[in-house]
Amino acid sequence: MKIILSIMTGITFLIGGELEIGSAMPLMDHQLADISGNTMTLADVKGDAGTLVVFSCNTCPWVIRWEDRYVSLANTYAPKGIGMIAVNSNAARFGSEDSLEEMVEHAKNNGYNFPYAQDPESKLASAFGATKTPHIYLFNADDELVYLGAIDDNAKNAKKVEVPFLANAIDALLAGNPINPQATKALGCSIKFN
Amino acid sequence: MRLPLFVLGLSFFLLFSACSNVDLIATNSKTIQEHLSSYKGEKAVLLNVWATTCAPCVEEFPMIVSLGNEIKDLEVVFVSADFDDQLGEVKSYLNEQKVIGVSFIKNENDQSFINGIHPEWSGSLPFTILYGKISGKILIFWEGKESESKFREAIQRAINE
Repeated sequence: MKIILSIMTGITFLIGGELEIGSAMPLMDHQLADISGNTMTLADVKGDAGTLVVFSCNTCPWVIRWEDRYVSLANTYAPKGIGMIAVNSNAARFGSEDSLEEMVEHAKNNGYNFPYAQDPESKLASAFGATKTPHIYLFNADDELVYLGAIDDNAKNAKKVEVPFLANAIDALLAGNPINPQATKALGCSIKFN
Repeated sequence: MRLPLFVLGLSFFLLFSACSNVDLIATNSKTIQEHLSSYKGEKAVLLNVWATTCAPCVEEFPMIVSLGNEIKDLEVVFVSADFDDQLGEVKSYLNEQKVIGVSFIKNENDQSFINGIHPEWSGSLPFTILYGKISGKILIFWEGKESESKFREAIQRAINE
């Protein structure tokens, strides 16, 4: 669902391409290389009540400021049936700061309590239309996209968050209520495609 | 012994401040848009949103500064998306890159800032917009680092329109 616009000059830009709300989870059988040493797919991490896919990496300052919330979200919602995975799609840096070895170290240092896996050739990021880290996608039990965007409105300080967008979305999903907003935005580091 | 050290430190601080040719303003997207619109009819404008901690941003930054110095019909406006506890790093980097005049750092929440800069921007850094010299309108925008040739082509169009 990528939208390529060719503007009058002939210069071409990719200006969109994100999954739309209601879209089916793409590439559920794409093999990801997890820090456990195993391969896994989105189908493997899918939860009974829903699935949270977080595009992330080891070094982005926005990831580093936000990732304490990855852990608390997993603590709160894994017992309630939400499957969660952090996906590293920085394929251009798999040979350096986003290597599997560095990812193992990063997950250990930050108490990751969910799978953290490399996305070979950044195929998942391309299929999702993910552009940055962190970039959040929440699917319901039927694998339909119900929320995308940001974790909350304060990367720097979890205690000063005014609107916990993602937690609100998951709570609404679990309660069977409408999710509002379904899409939010936040700053982040560009995904380093090959 | 402590007083001379204090005086020495103060002297370095004052010297550093005096050497700074950039006026870094913490503000929101509305004020930035007002600043950009003041160039309509006078210059094309290149807006670049960057951060000191964003590798692709600092890779293309010197090239953009150089284009701004070279092309007289172009005004380059940098907007830092760094966190507000990084003001010192931002100002140091701007001085190191010899940026002069007004520069901005955002001080509003991400969502308002992103949509206020451009509703089709996802929030990925760096982000660049070209405004036409004559029309003052947005002509071209893109996310991510780009080549000098792409910048030059876009700037030329902005100067002509």
